Amino acid sequence: MTKKDIFVNAAFKENSVWRQILGICSALAVTNLMLNSLILGLGVIFTLALANFTISLIRNWTPRSIRMMVQTLIIASYVIIVDIFLKANIPEISKQLGPYVGLIITNCILMGRAEAFASQNKPLDSMIDGIGAGLGYTLVLLVISFIRELFGFGSIFGFKVLGDWWISWNIMVMAPSAFFLLAMLIWAINTYYYKAKA
Amino acid sequence: MKDSFWYPIVFMLIMVVIFTSILSVMYRFNQDKIMRQERDSYQRAVLSTLASAIAEYTGESRESIMAAYPESYDTYVVSQNYPGFERECFQAKVDDEILAYCFEIRGKGLWGSMQALVSTSVDLRTILDFAIVSQQETPGLGARIEEDWFLSQFRDRLFVVNPDAEGDVSQSYEFIAETQVPENDRQLRRVTGATITSDSVVKMLHDEFNYIYKYFRENVL
Repeated sequence: MTKKDIFVNAAFKENSVWRQILGICSALAVTNLMLNSLILGLGVIFTLALANFTISLIRNWTPRSIRMMVQTLIIASYVIIVDIFLKANIPEISKQLGPYVGLIITNCILMGRAEAFASQNKPLDSMIDGIGAGLGYTLVLLVISFIRELFGFGSIFGFKVLGDWWISWNIMVMAPSAFFLLAMLIWAINTYYYKAKA
Repeated sequence: MKDSFWYPIVFMLIMVVIFTSILSVMYRFNQDKIMRQERDSYQRAVLSTLASAIAEYTGESRESIMAAYPESYDTYVVSQNYPGFERECFQAKVDDEILAYCFEIRGKGLWGSMQALVSTSVDLRTILDFAIVSQQETPGLGARIEEDWFLSQFRDRLFVVNPDAEGDVSQSYEFIAETQVPENDRQLRRVTGATITSDSVVKMLHDEFNYIYKYFRENVL
């Protein structure tokens, strides 16, 4: 597989959210605001890329019996680095995201890519896979948060785009809306992409 | 070698040492910056809650007082300790005259603790300004208690209506929907979809005012 294939596969064809149904918890939790989704997405891209790279780099020395402990340690370390960076440089965003940055550690996509790809492939390929998977995840977050923030608050990235005449759909701000929006997104992609292609 | 008993233990230990060291170095390099950011953010919040009282007395605008941080904080704000008083207390002071008080108050929200700053008149009966410093509520729902329309409901509000009472010194409030217009001063607009968080904010103010006002009534005023 070429590096481009690895990227396209991770980001779109085998997208972690709509194809593998991973990372759903955070996709539901933070997607009521686009800015939060973007920052969390960037945090996941950074963590996935570097965690995949590191896990791949030491894969030949990592004993199989403790590989998941090692992967968790590496992922947690990069997440803490993201947390320290946000606190030191963009404290407002760090405050808004609150516990969600720490929860990147529990994002199934990270362990999923570490197990499925990084532990069996070369470091650079694993890094590209991590960037692709992270971008695919961020894309889903942004699509869902675009709809939720637009209809829930009448804004995009905090900027009011719908006037005072707009009556906010409160259901869009609440978690249940993310459930049916995500379900509709998965249905649409399955129907119009995967089934049409088959 | 990888199958031996000691290899996984030694390997894990080495990994822990490497990553803990990286994190320690990273934190050490950023520690001062993080602490400075946290201190500045807190002091700005204190100054902001006291800015209206300072502006009224000095004739400066609220914006110019905020823009002159940290000099304006050093000039006008004094941290004050009272024996046995278990809250952070700040005074806005000009020419040795106390213009207002600011207290750090704490309470419980839906998901965790809340920390807020409330500034009061010198007789401690009227809330001048109110700001949430930290909270762990749901982003987009409970976290909206930080929005100005919600906080502004408490500004310039006579909160201590029963100053001599042994029980609750403040009155009870009734919540109405976010889109409704209050018909009297006992009604407050709640955040839609965040009933418990909205209630928690008012409960925090009630509880803290009962403690603060009674302490000051007996020891300071």
